[in-house]
Amino acid sequence: MVLSTIVEPITDFVAQEPKIAGLIIGLIAAAIISSVTNVGAMGIVWLERKVLGDMTNRFGPSRVGTRWGILQLVADAIKLFTKEDSIPRGADKPVYVWAPIVACMTTMLVAAVLPWGALNIGGVVYPLVAVNMDISAFFVEAALSLMAIAAFMAGWGSNNKYSMLGAFRGIARMISYEVPMGICVISVAVMAHSLNIVEIVEAQSIWYIIAQPLGFVIFMIALITDLGRVPFDQSEAEEEIIAGYVTEYGGIRWGLLYFQEYITMLLGSVLLVHLYLGGWNGPTIPVITILSPMIWFLMKVILVLVFLIWVRGSLIRFRIDQVTDLGWKWLLPLSLVNLVWAVAIGMYFA
Amino acid sequence: MSSEMMAVDYYIPLIMFLIVGALTPIGAMAVVKIISPLKPTFRKGATYEGGISPIRDALIQYNVQYYLIAIAFVIFDVEVLFLYPWIYIYTSEVIPTLGGVSIAILGMATFIIVLLIGLLYDIKKEALRWV
Repeated sequence: MVLSTIVEPITDFVAQEPKIAGLIIGLIAAAIISSVTNVGAMGIVWLERKVLGDMTNRFGPSRVGTRWGILQLVADAIKLFTKEDSIPRGADKPVYVWAPIVACMTTMLVAAVLPWGALNIGGVVYPLVAVNMDISAFFVEAALSLMAIAAFMAGWGSNNKYSMLGAFRGIARMISYEVPMGICVISVAVMAHSLNIVEIVEAQSIWYIIAQPLGFVIFMIALITDLGRVPFDQSEAEEEIIAGYVTEYGGIRWGLLYFQEYITMLLGSVLLVHLYLGGWNGPTIPVITILSPMIWFLMKVILVLVFLIWVRGSLIRFRIDQVTDLGWKWLLPLSLVNLVWAVAIGMYFA
Repeated sequence: MSSEMMAVDYYIPLIMFLIVGALTPIGAMAVVKIISPLKPTFRKGATYEGGISPIRDALIQYNVQYYLIAIAFVIFDVEVLFLYPWIYIYTSEVIPTLGGVSIAILGMATFIIVLLIGLLYDIKKEALRWV
């Protein structure tokens, strides 16, 4: 009774003024998702330092905020905010300033269309997604590749030779892996008969990691490359080109670019979980039925994140020519093989 | 929200996401402007080049090899673009069949094989080699 008096005016308003309602809903959703991604990324930075510390026989953060170092990031943020904001004289100023902003806008675009888990209310699973568009898998892929544009803007705008080399490498790496990644998304969509991520998750009675193991491996490699993480972080290889495209950045501008990388890592893991690991699918947990899909989703995302950190802790960086070779000469043909496999399986079960 | 939303209505909330995404870094930079010290000197504004004074500009002409890789990328990206709408129609009953196999699948197979021959040619000509 009370609920309907609140809900009815809202639904009426949405029906009458869909555009204004869209803007208001968008603002609320953007505020929520922005906080979720930022807090999530802070968690990932902490987790990565801690896990990498353990892997290399160190403690990791252990001073600020109990012996687990949970306040380390707050201390880092205070340091970044109070640091002098210095722009190099030779920089192309508009491009230099806009690079972190473009990176932030890109991650928000991706976060808008990704489902952030689901709730099971009375046996019906409701996905938590801000913008449920029909082509969300395609949109995510397109928006993720904009990250390379932000990195290139940072490299070009800095007017530094190391930055420029990093930016070139970043673009070459992105275009070598964009095609296999796209074909993997298509293979998944061929099986699910949809490009909508929610429908792809709902179609996974068998997780696609089992249905297309080859596609999973290719997508995982392409994703690590897209995220620019070790062993594919040639665009910021610190032993060769100082810090790559972020060489000239300092203080909060560097902090923003660095933080966007971790937000992209979170988004990439969520995408991987949705496409190959069955999203929020899993046996219903008794007692907390309502949260059960959410718990499965979070568990899978954390698993993927720990795997990505593990990869960083155990592998060494490839040379840039090896990376482009791997993309063009191995992953591209193999992803086409996977597409044929997906179509064959899809035809067989259709 | 109703399921019969106009396609264009999907993109209206995205405007808000773009604005929030732009305001976050701008707000952070505004806070920095207020609370952080600003004492620029000539040396601080120099471009970093391993300790020495920078020699010439970094905005160089690139090697022509980059263009070859970029063109190869454009070709294959267009291929991927053609594959996206194809997902929806390849099992359609309306499309005629040839020897029991749908024309949609045969056509796409031909298209991909032609492109694969192109990729092999690229690899043989070492167009995709990094310089």
